[in-house]
Amino acid sequence: MKTFKVLEIKESVFENNNRQADLLREELKKDKIFLLNLMSSPGSGKTTTVLRTIEALKSEMSIGVMEADIDSDVDAHAVAKTGAKVIQLHTGGMCHLDADMTRQGLLGLEAEGLDFVILENVGNLVCPAEFDTGASKNAMILSVPEGDDKPLKYPLMFSIVDVLLINKIDTLEYFDFDLEAVKKRAKHLNPNIKIIPISAKTGEGIEEWANWIRTEVKNWKEQ
Amino acid sequence: MHELGVIIQIVKIVEDFANENEVTNIEKLVLQIGELSSVIPKYVEDCYPAAVDGTLLQDTELEIEILPGNCICKNCNKVFNLLTSNKQCPKCGSKDWELLGGRELMIKEIVAY
Repeated sequence: MKTFKVLEIKESVFENNNRQADLLREELKKDKIFLLNLMSSPGSGKTTTVLRTIEALKSEMSIGVMEADIDSDVDAHAVAKTGAKVIQLHTGGMCHLDADMTRQGLLGLEAEGLDFVILENVGNLVCPAEFDTGASKNAMILSVPEGDDKPLKYPLMFSIVDVLLINKIDTLEYFDFDLEAVKKRAKHLNPNIKIIPISAKTGEGIEEWANWIRTEVKNWKEQ
Repeated sequence: MHELGVIIQIVKIVEDFANENEVTNIEKLVLQIGELSSVIPKYVEDCYPAAVDGTLLQDTELEIEILPGNCICKNCNKVFNLLTSNKQCPKCGSKDWELLGGRELMIKEIVAY
């Protein structure tokens, strides 16, 4: 006859990832690498924004990019042309990156010596919000055609990011998108959120965004 | 939609725990899932067999306990379930409340022999 025993584990699944993420953040701080986790829906203009950002900053800092996708490497090809160091991460069907995958990505990228690494997370506003990647700061892009109700639909994402880029503002006149309503809704969820309207296509707002990065990279290295 | 990845993470944690505690035969895994977490119990059950295939948890039974998404009204202190009360206090109607629980995803225990 079998004797059963019950073994209590009582461990939060997210907790384990959070510990890994904190560990990675400490290491990045020691290595003076500023890691930005960039999240958004598919089609919000993430890769175009990344290209613009590299363009604005590449003369003053060394930049690396980790492109996470379920499959394909089209984004990595586009980024490689800018001269930035790039690696494509395939999540193999997974809809988010966790701290462990991010760590492996940084190893693969050979991030040592870089000032600024962008992690382009999987296009999704749900799961990436729940998994801390270990990044120094978190940013998200909301594009005008997606609609101004997104903070109501994906509150967790808006509440965990440090900065919100509102992209494609050159198309504002064609959509019923209430910029002020988005700002209000986002601030309600996250009073400290920094909101920067941009157009990755025309370049509008990119300088303010680049300035935010400059300040954060500087702070990160000095702390 | 991300349940498979979540379970793979769970399997890793349980395997580590089992190795540390020298457990080799696991009969059942008990999870606690908050009703406000983004993890859907039905999907967890659906992809469990695939996620545990070839691991220490292969052929184990899965039990899921649901934890309620309760909050407390900041106005009148009534404790109520968020999902069944349309996100407002059923007693005083206030929409100002603090979440007490419901976002959890916990590995509660394993039954082993």
